Amino acid sequence: MSKPQAETRDDYGYFLDLQSRWMDNDLYGHVNNVTYYSYFDTVVNYFLIEKGGLDIHAAPVIGVVIESHCNYARPVAYPDLIACGLRVGHLGNSSDRYEVGIFRNDEAEAAAAGHFVHVFVNRADNTPVPIPAPIRTALEAIQRSAPA
Amino acid sequence: MSDYLDWRVEDFPYQTRIETRWGDNDMLGHLNNVAYNRMIETVVVRFTMGPLAIDWQTARAYPLVVESLCRFHRPLAFPETITAGLRAGRLGGSSVTYEIGLFGEGNEVPGATGHFIHVFIDRDSQKSVQIPDDIRAGIQADAIKG
Repeated sequence: MSKPQAETRDDYGYFLDLQSRWMDNDLYGHVNNVTYYSYFDTVVNYFLIEKGGLDIHAAPVIGVVIESHCNYARPVAYPDLIACGLRVGHLGNSSDRYEVGIFRNDEAEAAAAGHFVHVFVNRADNTPVPIPAPIRTALEAIQRSAPA
Repeated sequence: MSDYLDWRVEDFPYQTRIETRWGDNDMLGHLNNVAYNRMIETVVVRFTMGPLAIDWQTARAYPLVVESLCRFHRPLAFPETITAGLRAGRLGGSSVTYEIGLFGEGNEVPGATGHFIHVFIDRDSQKSVQIPDDIRAGIQADAIKG
């Protein structure tokens, strides 16, 4: 079992703050494990829209998820503010790996860390295509290797 | 990647059927990635409440997820009913890794595969503990092909 690294905010180049919601907590009184993936796809897509100019309704090329993963180190819970840190690890021709850190309120160390792999495909026929230039530029700006 | 596509529903000793809902699809017309992860959680929870008979709210040693993973191989979509298969992979002292396959209607190839790792926690000390004997026996009997 891989241990989550003690990652800090310096390890991420882009942040989006999300307000946790009442329904995010489960019976244990913490944000449910699956809900973290909703935070992941919210920060990833927000980044692509804001920095890469992605038009989620009309773009001919879109990102589809082929893998998602999360290590849960410590709980977060409503009503915490969730700071989602984002960086890009591997950047390929048509795919890239986003690495996401979930930070609770003002805490310095990530409560959870995971990744999310996108393949960019033609919306029309689902075939993989090179990452569009404006998106690639945005991804390169937050690319860095994972901390040792 | 190809070996995951070789997983078949009959490889999984525990199976459950999960209905999809309209709201599970996203604007791309198939299940949102979060919905797949919800089904992975659902098959694990049904297994713990059914064959393992764990009462999540009162059990002295309760399971807590420390890692989850999903690989998306082909789209699943509402209104399909999904067959979710579960088997135990690594069975350690205090943790168990469940391997999961999600199969769409009429497809022998999995739409998604993944895993879900539970650590057992003592309710009083909040520390990890050995998997209780009866639960370990249940995992061996019902989640590992004999």
